[in-house]
Amino acid sequence: MRGSQEKLSLAWFLRHPLVATCILLALTIVLPYLRVGERLKLLTFLPLARAQGQVGGSAYEELSEDERVRFDLQRERDRNSSLASENARLARALLDLKALGGPDFAASQLPPAINAQVVFHGDSSNWRHSCWINRGRKQGVSDGMPVVAGRTLIGRIFMVGDDHACVQLLTDPGFACSCLIVDPDNPQQDPESRVRGVLRGDGSAMPHFPRLELEDVAVGAEVKPGMYVITNDYSGQFPLGLAVGVVREAIPQAGFLQVRIEANMDLATLEVVQVLQHRRPELEQQALQLMRKK
Amino acid sequence: MIQALQVRTQPPRYRWRIVAGGGLLLAAVHTLLLHRLKLGDFTPDLYSVFALYLGLFASRQGRYVPSLALGLIRDFFSLGLLGSYGVLYSLLHKAAGRARGKLDPERPLNVFIMALGGTFLVNFGYHSMLALSGEGIGWSRALARCASVAAASAPPAVLLYPVAHYLLHKLRVGRSGGYWNI
Repeated sequence: MRGSQEKLSLAWFLRHPLVATCILLALTIVLPYLRVGERLKLLTFLPLARAQGQVGGSAYEELSEDERVRFDLQRERDRNSSLASENARLARALLDLKALGGPDFAASQLPPAINAQVVFHGDSSNWRHSCWINRGRKQGVSDGMPVVAGRTLIGRIFMVGDDHACVQLLTDPGFACSCLIVDPDNPQQDPESRVRGVLRGDGSAMPHFPRLELEDVAVGAEVKPGMYVITNDYSGQFPLGLAVGVVREAIPQAGFLQVRIEANMDLATLEVVQVLQHRRPELEQQALQLMRKK
Repeated sequence: MIQALQVRTQPPRYRWRIVAGGGLLLAAVHTLLLHRLKLGDFTPDLYSVFALYLGLFASRQGRYVPSLALGLIRDFFSLGLLGSYGVLYSLLHKAAGRARGKLDPERPLNVFIMALGGTFLVNFGYHSMLALSGEGIGWSRALARCASVAAASAPPAVLLYPVAHYLLHKLRVGRSGGYWNI
């Protein structure tokens, strides 16, 4: 009787933890559809990300003329050194890009890219894989854009702030991408006869040249070690021809082939990446493209 | 007896500072440090070890909400669904309460067993949530990974729990019936 007279308040929830847990569980399932969680997380993460790249402000107006000149000189020196290090990083990225040049798919045109620096790697969960970059909505980055290093796929944009964005790496369990397996010894292979599969991240705890797996590859498909795995534009989410990795082994399973591949990129040492300004086409555009192909 | 009553009537000490400080510190350790060690699947889940400590040794009022808050802090620094770890840690404190009734948590072997089981359950629960949202990695592989994480987390728990006891003692937090007044 006493229980029925109790008012529903925060204290009541604290006394009934299982009810509160069930409500939280329900919210956990519902909130992702509204992307409330991501927005809240951005609020927490962004001050950290900003703190990485900003220098504390000084009372510039209060300085004397000499002090201002010295201050400006020091600022320009700092800027020079940061530009020099950025230049070195970009030169290294360009070398990587040249080194990755391979068969014909590597010659295909990619969408315009935005260069970005990786601010920090890591995720507090052992299962998820992400990193943060110093480019955001103001620079034209938006949700779902592919992120590459040279021509190698790294992941996709998951959350975007004004000046920073979170990248879901291809080893994250939530990452999936349609892929093609191409034979480097036979670059003139008919595109229709290329082997297709779906790359899924497995939350591999070792992002150092991670071993990835390609699923849904048809049994009987000719897959040999050393073949290249590249992205397919089947779903429109990623452009055709981004390198993913090299086939290491193919294991026949019931009804499909399990293809193990070694990634081209060491995800733990990423410094400079490019965000491709590629947008997933609308359904109508995809239908038109398909009709043109036929 | 009188001392125990005094501890019980004292307000909790450092509860939110321990939860917020410990949560942020461990989030930073997981985010910035542990993945650099390249331990593979044997990366310890220190965050769950800490949540289990609260479930085992915090006073009755210092278990549920702090565990929930701890889980939410971890969720904020992760790509996963907001509330996943919140739910898991609030369930972990219940399981820890049951386990405490059967095993003495002051014995290193019991701590090892409870940390092994606790971290395994948390990681398995997390994978179940991933699987519900279509992001699972396959149950056999997930079981192997959960076992690896649990095996890597139990030994640090045996070492870290006495350190945590020592620090709380130094902070002059009261203890009654084996529970810290936090």
